[in-house]
Amino acid sequence: MLARRFIGAGLLNVGTWAVVLAVIFPLIWMVLTSLKPQSELFHIPPAFWPQSITFEHYRVLLEETPFLQYFRNSSILAVSTTVLVIVVGTLGAHSLVRFSYPGREKLALLVLFTYLLPSVVLIIPLYLLMVWAGVANSLLSLVIAYTTFALPYALWLLRSFMQGIPADLEAAALIDGASRLGAFIDVILPQALPGIISTALFTFILAWNEYLYALVLVSSDAARPLTTGVMNMLITSFNIEWSLLMAASVLMSLPLIIIFAFLQRYLTRGFGVGGVKG
Amino acid sequence: MRRKVDTNVSRLSHERVSRRTILKGAGLAAAAAGVSLATPWRARADDVTLRWWSPQSSPGQLASYKKQIATFEAAHPGVKVVFEPTSDEGYSAQLAAAFSAKQQPDIITHLPSFAVQTYYAQGLVEPFDDVIQAIGPDKYYPGANNVYKTADGKYCGTGIGNTAADMLWVRKDLMQKAGVSEIPTTWDTLRAACQKMQTGGIYGVPYPYGLNSMTSLIIIGFIHRAGGNIFSPDLEVAINSDATAHALDFYKSMKELAPPGATNYSWGESLTAFVSGATATGIYAGRVLKNVHDQNPAIADFITATTYPTMSKDFPAWTFNDFPSIWIPKGSAHLKEAKLFAAFLLDPPGYIEQLLAAPGHVLPVLKTIAENPDYLADPIIQKYKAEVNLMAASAAGGYNLGYETAKHKPNSKANDIIASNVLAEMVGRVVINGENTKTVLGDTATKLADLMKG
Amino acid sequence: MASIAEREHALPGGWTLALRYGSLGMLLIAPTVLIFAAVIAYPLVSAIYLSLRSIFTPTLQGHWVGLANYADLLSSTTFWRALRNNFVWTAGTLFLQIVAGVAVALLLNQNIVFRSLARSLILFPYFVSTVVAVLVWRWLFNDLYGILNHFMLTLGLIDQPVNWLGQMPNAMISVILVGAWKYFPFVVIAVLARLQTIPPQLYEAATIDGAGPWGRFFDVTLPQLRSVLTVVILLRTVWDFKEFDLIYLLTGGGPINATQTIPLLVYQQAFGLNRMGMAAAYAVVMMAVMLVFMSLYLYRARRSEEAA
Repeated sequence: MLARRFIGAGLLNVGTWAVVLAVIFPLIWMVLTSLKPQSELFHIPPAFWPQSITFEHYRVLLEETPFLQYFRNSSILAVSTTVLVIVVGTLGAHSLVRFSYPGREKLALLVLFTYLLPSVVLIIPLYLLMVWAGVANSLLSLVIAYTTFALPYALWLLRSFMQGIPADLEAAALIDGASRLGAFIDVILPQALPGIISTALFTFILAWNEYLYALVLVSSDAARPLTTGVMNMLITSFNIEWSLLMAASVLMSLPLIIIFAFLQRYLTRGFGVGGVKG
Repeated sequence: MRRKVDTNVSRLSHERVSRRTILKGAGLAAAAAGVSLATPWRARADDVTLRWWSPQSSPGQLASYKKQIATFEAAHPGVKVVFEPTSDEGYSAQLAAAFSAKQQPDIITHLPSFAVQTYYAQGLVEPFDDVIQAIGPDKYYPGANNVYKTADGKYCGTGIGNTAADMLWVRKDLMQKAGVSEIPTTWDTLRAACQKMQTGGIYGVPYPYGLNSMTSLIIIGFIHRAGGNIFSPDLEVAINSDATAHALDFYKSMKELAPPGATNYSWGESLTAFVSGATATGIYAGRVLKNVHDQNPAIADFITATTYPTMSKDFPAWTFNDFPSIWIPKGSAHLKEAKLFAAFLLDPPGYIEQLLAAPGHVLPVLKTIAENPDYLADPIIQKYKAEVNLMAASAAGGYNLGYETAKHKPNSKANDIIASNVLAEMVGRVVINGENTKTVLGDTATKLADLMKG
Repeated sequence: MASIAEREHALPGGWTLALRYGSLGMLLIAPTVLIFAAVIAYPLVSAIYLSLRSIFTPTLQGHWVGLANYADLLSSTTFWRALRNNFVWTAGTLFLQIVAGVAVALLLNQNIVFRSLARSLILFPYFVSTVVAVLVWRWLFNDLYGILNHFMLTLGLIDQPVNWLGQMPNAMISVILVGAWKYFPFVVIAVLARLQTIPPQLYEAATIDGAGPWGRFFDVTLPQLRSVLTVVILLRTVWDFKEFDLIYLLTGGGPINATQTIPLLVYQQAFGLNRMGMAAAYAVVMMAVMLVFMSLYLYRARRSEEAA
């Protein structure tokens, strides 16, 4: 009996990790390639493991390009956007779920309409708006732009998570004399935390990865994020700097992996569900 | 783990206070961040700031630009130059936004000549005649600026370099092994040579057949090497001709000598196919030299380049040059300084260093530079002196879709035609789908006529 | 499940003050509405305005053409073929995203060693930049120096390198697979978060009733996931339908238009051919198609929610 459980657990672990490794195979390839000297890039037949390891590409990237400046810009951009979206979105989602006022359902739908147009058509009017507002070519314009894309899905996701929280919990707190806001912070927020964390993850990723708006809204290097910075530098129609590109991509990915691994702790059953019997 | 709702009111209010403080602190931090985010780059009021855009900003080129900017700023106090990288894929979207918001840069380099012609036709480009005068018209290769002559007789820009985009690259060692004694100069000899060299996992040619700009550019070259044109000198559609049919037949017959994935090849794959040693010949610009040096030095001693074979000895060589340009958008607030800087970009030694960041790929437009000993001192240029000279001369005498022969009027729709993939689609339909050539040519001619009407 | 309104009336105390709190509710949603109105409504309206004109993109100048753009569009085979490709691509990749997403979420909900690391690694396809991801995939797919073909040749699965991207139906299949790989982590994380809040008593009750693992999945897990999956499917459908970067960079729409979807046409018109008016017309038609789908979908979702 015990042996069967061990084998079962063993298979589960091996199977799951096999899936994970298959999914991140391109990442493994990127890491290995970034450590290969250029002369090993296009071996025929292709070699998986590097014959010699070099950190030259990382050195060039960090010392001879504005990579770190782009990294700083992307970090500020992603964190600001995420904070803004979570704050506005959580309040908005709570409103959509708990309060009733005229036009509530229509409002929810309307907000989703923002996704129906492709960004290519929106981009020039948006840029003109930024120029008119005096924030063109700055990180702020990107924060505003990204918040507007992220808010609709953040609202819908948070709303669906909050709908799963029983109304009885909040009612019990209100009966005990807590104010609406107090009940929200002490009761609703902890329940909604997994949903908030996952929405925060998506928003961060959107702000970190977005390319087309960063391309058009920001042309100065001082405010340029990683996406356009790295692409402009390393990719032209006649040539791609493969080794530097792989090193840059690894550097762009590793911090995210670490942060997300850390945040995963909050994506657990720690905050429970039950609390009211019956 | 279950958590009971806390019914102790006093405990709730205590926790609420600490959470509120945290929220307040976060709010202040956010406000501070907001202020720092909102400050775009601003210059001192008395400084003139020039913004310079280019899609070519690899680390080596970036370093050379920095040096040129520093030298220029030292010589012209009160003038600052800011370099802002863009990309080949992104510049059209960026420029569209910039023009409509009156935020266009002061100087733009490395865009293909036909892009500049397109913008000029819409009145968005400053005429360049005085800058060319400042540089010295006799320093150029003969006729190097013809491609920039506009319909109203002015020059819309000048070249920052030349690129011989479709040279024939060959592996001399593979030729020897297969018993091919001479580098092919006609299509028949090319095909025969490739057939001999295609053994043991090595393919003959890395031609692109995918739906992308490389396919369009390459087939334009072949049509000319069969004596045809896409448009007549008066810009009437002329693609529906025997020459085009011959070119397509040849291109189709070579498909079996190309790797199977060639149906999706674009610039990167085609280049790497030759550089990695998988194909015996290549069709590319001088970028091959540096890439072989970095990525596959084992074959460095065996590569050479020549102008691409034509259909037969009756047809002269024709080389595609996208003529990377320098131009100044209309409406720049600092025209005088921008023109000074534009002329300065071609001054040695800054210009030489810029060219040597991509040796053999961006070739000098000025004969004086090509003969400059500092330029010739670069190891790659020295090793492949003959090839580089040939490329420089072929490129200087080269053409592109915006300027098909010396007699052609400038075609301001060339950019649209490449972007529409009409020519790449033509190739795909004939070669991959196997459709009837005459039908496809008829369709293509109609589409081209529509595009010209705009 | 009773609607919120019904539950409100059933509860004592503060909930009958719903009307007074309604204004607080509107206050909470106000920032969203403001941002929406200012920054989305304006471009939306301008898109419709642009579609009725012929506009040269760099200058945004042009002249009125009325419905001519729409007439051209609807009568061209290019459009209908692109629409069909759009449906094939969206349906294919969405199906894989949902199935793989739910399956992997269930796996990552178990007690795995280094579970936090696994969960964060599984996000990699989603957070890696699309441009980089596609370049790496093109490299892996390459017939000469790509590792995929090399593995398959060594294992004896094939005797010629496969042309993953240059031939049909491979091209569409490859695009769908890469799309699924790229976006399924979105489903994983959303589902994983929801899985955390399913009360364990439900599973206990089901086991007592004699349900095995499949029974528990269909009777407990799936109904609980319904609300999240509804939203996720809606969002992913809209985003997949609009997807541009992935397909453009992977195949460019080839071989010869076989993977050309409407977003690619919009981009080509707007920035390749500099025809902003025509691009806007394509965009508006795309919006109409998605609107129809969204309305139908939400209608059905509400119907089944009320029935439950």
